[in-house]
Amino acid sequence: MANLAAVVGIGQTSYTTKRNDVSIAGLVREAAVNALNDADLTWDDIDAVILGKAPDMFEGIIMPEIYLTDALGCNGKPMLRVHTAGSVGGSTALVAASHVQSGTFDRVLTVSFEKQSESNAMWALSNPQPFSTHLNAGAGGYFAPIIREYIRRSGAPADVGIKVAVKDRLHGARNPLAHLQLPEISMEEVADSFMLWDPIRYLESCPSSDGACAMVIASEELADKASKPPAWIRGVAMRSEPTMYAGREEVNPQAGRDCAADVYKQAGISDPRKDLDVAEVYVPFSWYEPMWLENLGFAPEGEGWKLTMEGATSLIDGGDIPWNPSGGVLSSNAIGASGMIRFAEAARQVRNDAGDHQVPGAKLALGHAYGGGAQFFAMWVVGAEKA
Amino acid sequence: MSQPEILNQAFELGFTYTRSTGPVVGRFLTELKKRNIVGIKASDGRVIVPPMEYDPDTAEELSEFVEVGQEGEIISFAWVKHPREAHPSERPFAWAMIKLDGADVPMVHWVASDSEELVSTGARVKATWSDDTKGYITDIACFELV
Repeated sequence: MANLAAVVGIGQTSYTTKRNDVSIAGLVREAAVNALNDADLTWDDIDAVILGKAPDMFEGIIMPEIYLTDALGCNGKPMLRVHTAGSVGGSTALVAASHVQSGTFDRVLTVSFEKQSESNAMWALSNPQPFSTHLNAGAGGYFAPIIREYIRRSGAPADVGIKVAVKDRLHGARNPLAHLQLPEISMEEVADSFMLWDPIRYLESCPSSDGACAMVIASEELADKASKPPAWIRGVAMRSEPTMYAGREEVNPQAGRDCAADVYKQAGISDPRKDLDVAEVYVPFSWYEPMWLENLGFAPEGEGWKLTMEGATSLIDGGDIPWNPSGGVLSSNAIGASGMIRFAEAARQVRNDAGDHQVPGAKLALGHAYGGGAQFFAMWVVGAEKA
Repeated sequence: MSQPEILNQAFELGFTYTRSTGPVVGRFLTELKKRNIVGIKASDGRVIVPPMEYDPDTAEELSEFVEVGQEGEIISFAWVKHPREAHPSERPFAWAMIKLDGADVPMVHWVASDSEELVSTGARVKATWSDDTKGYITDIACFELV
């Protein structure tokens, strides 16, 4: 049985197109210092640092963790880098949590980042290889046919994705850290935006952001003495599957369903829509909201889109299960950090510290990340109470 | 059954990137453009050249820039007898760790010398500047023996 652990500090940069004023070290540093300040701690209070980063080819810096040790106060301390593509921010938080839950360390700093303005994330994902046709696809081109298949199977109306795109941007307009600030966005504006990868329009896609996110995770004993309310880690799970194999269910991946079942079991959740108060879920393209509503058990298969259309996932419409009140990946996408932002925003909610995008009285929240070809899943459930 | 031909093919992979230097390394490079060399004062008082953004011991942010001398001494070196295309010199030269006057740690650069015998630990060297300085480390064209 794992020991109890909790989030006692959260720090983020604001998310924006270009942070020319800082080096990559300066960017991760900003989030880490914000997390230490939030926890009322100093570098000396940290036992180990766990860093997450999307593939090295994105920024073209091989093993950036080596160069970032000074910025993250790792000299003389254990440090570890986690790699799981777009889900890395989530799995990094879980690796950090496991180091505390196992009793190895009492207090761990975990950080993840992306400086997309200095990177080549689009084409580094889709590199040409000999003897193969170069698809020139990128993430949107990869997910578009999977979304089309979801629409075909579920019979969802064509404007579900547009509704998600508007909802998450209206949420993002309540979060001063969010990259896209579009308080006036309308269904028409999204519908009229350029079709990037049919059926994904420009405004149904995430932006390219620079930013970093950090958390301090502490043991029960230290979290009990924390200066601000802790977010208790009530369940942690990761699952993976290959990108491609015969018979793979790509619309509703098995690894995602298994990961959700595992994390719910640990947290004592039987009906996620009823038992959870809020969810921060990795939705980089609008249609992934209804798809993940089903994959994560918030709705029966083929009916996720109904929750979206009813406004159940909208904080502004007073929905019963707000998804991505921070604005989500659709409002800010610093890739390596995006998963950790979901985990951190879930923790902010149960600490009652989410500002204008606070879900009133949130006690139990899901943080979710996925990566690769929707093949790596990382999830945690955090609560205001220990059990 | 005949064996199939096992194919292989070389290929190149290349992408374009950007780098932002930040306020500390950025300052070092900007000063090179003006033909100055600056270091930064660490928490224990050491002057580190090139400057670091964060203290190696306390992890605190560093900001006290110190101009150091353009002369210094060789701490250690490696003689390159047969330079290759990528090397900074067509003639034999030394890679060297050079502790500039006023600095407490050496930095790596290269030393032009007519012979290996003239290069030694403790030998004095002086920075030679490029005609056109751009804010690159190569603005220091090389170090020459004094």
